[in-house]
Amino acid sequence: MTQQRIEQPTEPQAGQRWRPGALEIFVVVMVVIVIFREQISSLLSGAAIGAATTIFVSIVVQALPFLVLGVALSAVIATYVPASFWQRALPKRQSLAVPVAGAAGAILPGCECASVPVASGLMSRGVAPAAALTFLLAAPAINPIVVISTLVAFPGQPEFALARFVASLSAAVIVGWIWLRIGKSDWIKIPNRPHLAGASRFETFRNNVAHDFLHAGGFLVLGALAAAALNVVVPPTIMDSVAGSAILSILAMAALAVILCLCSEADAFVAASFTSFSPTSKLVFLVVGPMVDLKLIALQGGTFGRKFTTRFAPLTFVVAISAAVIAGTVLL
Amino acid sequence: MNREIQSILLILIGTATLRISLGDIFLRYVKPAMQPYLIISGAILLILGIWALVDVVRTAPPKAKEALQGDPDSSDTDTDHGHSHGLSYMAWMLVLPVVAILVVAPPALGAFSAGRNNATVTAKADGIYSALPPGDPVDVGVTSFASRAIWDDGKTLDGREVAMTGFVTPNPDGGWWLTRLSMSCCAADALVTKVQVLDPPAEAADTWVRVVGTWTPGGGTKDDRAIPLVKASSVQQIQAPKNTYE
Repeated sequence: MTQQRIEQPTEPQAGQRWRPGALEIFVVVMVVIVIFREQISSLLSGAAIGAATTIFVSIVVQALPFLVLGVALSAVIATYVPASFWQRALPKRQSLAVPVAGAAGAILPGCECASVPVASGLMSRGVAPAAALTFLLAAPAINPIVVISTLVAFPGQPEFALARFVASLSAAVIVGWIWLRIGKSDWIKIPNRPHLAGASRFETFRNNVAHDFLHAGGFLVLGALAAAALNVVVPPTIMDSVAGSAILSILAMAALAVILCLCSEADAFVAASFTSFSPTSKLVFLVVGPMVDLKLIALQGGTFGRKFTTRFAPLTFVVAISAAVIAGTVLL
Repeated sequence: MNREIQSILLILIGTATLRISLGDIFLRYVKPAMQPYLIISGAILLILGIWALVDVVRTAPPKAKEALQGDPDSSDTDTDHGHSHGLSYMAWMLVLPVVAILVVAPPALGAFSAGRNNATVTAKADGIYSALPPGDPVDVGVTSFASRAIWDDGKTLDGREVAMTGFVTPNPDGGWWLTRLSMSCCAADALVTKVQVLDPPAEAADTWVRVVGTWTPGGGTKDDRAIPLVKASSVQQIQAPKNTYE
């Protein structure tokens, strides 16, 4: 309990005068939920709210294994891989480390939820933020599973998978280079991995996984909630009205990618379904989605701080759209 | 957030994940292939939570040696401040999916979502539509039926009696669509396939039915927003399948 007092000095210390603490409130809340479960159930069973609840649960359930994988990998990096490994693995010059980290994104076969904790684990081990961020952006967009699913979603048009790969990797590397130039160290809260003295490596690993999961999970839930609400509130037919305009359709597809929070392994199928949209605007959807969406913004904000996400998300959004438009014009 | 609640939240999330993945409930939200990953991650979270709770109970009297310190292996590179281990209030948000799963367990998406979204029928990747197996009526998926009707001019359907299962989505222009949703990762990316049933009996939205009938030209071809037509000879109410997505 010493630990807790250090972190939250305002919280009353155990053993003093009794006051309802977080645990008591928590128990009361859970009991109330159990008592009123019928009412809660019926409240959430209307057509629109029911669909939103299903989408909310779906996004959380789908992301959960990837988040567990991500925090576990991150804890392995923080606990078992010595910092010196990364100094050897990545080029000394940071401007070179950025593209190397981007290309390394191809080996993490996971969704974007896994790459955020992994990037934070890399940073806590001394990897330059710009390189770790490039990895974070590239991994969900260029890994083999995503490339294959893009090939399947656009049968007979392998140029789509190629354009997606090229645009995503270049956007990730460009964002990394920009961050290298303009990024300030106080914009980013590099999560440290505290270590209980006397704790074994495995205990540290276990505590890191538990802590990171709860922390990132809370933000993931926030993002999923926003996505589910918007999914039901925004009428899908609004998209059809902008399909005819080149610029509007690109912006609309970019905004939709942010709202829908699709898994990068599935978004190609949804993009393919927007048949009335230009190939370039579909590509924008595929490049923006894995890099900027509501659940990612929430996850990144939770992991690296609000100062970070208010700069990083808009920067990535603009670079991703530009890279996709250029790649789309040249390759599609 | 203190360590007791952290461990209880982990136990709850782990339990909720196992609760849906050890039965069929998870099929409402994600693909069947996700099952092993959900079971593994649910079990990991549950074990972590129980373990952390045991820690809390064991170390109830505060011990000075638990003071936070930087990782001794990398004291030269780490810039430890010793503050980030405290969990923000945001972790409380995890109560929401637990409640949604354990208390509500929302149903799979149905007529509401299908009615809002355009039907989308994609062509088969290789463009080759093999003949349906012999015997009438022959069971066909709604998406397969629609793809054959739209992208192969119904050649493999012509003259055959087909049986399809799906749910009812009311068509604002009259009658209803036999509907099926298909997902590639989770319900958030579900695509809609609709088949207009000609001269159908009245059915309520979200009713699951088995329609036996014959393909009728006129729904449009080579257009992924086309909605093919089926002339029903019988419509029978059925139980919803375990996996409502195709």
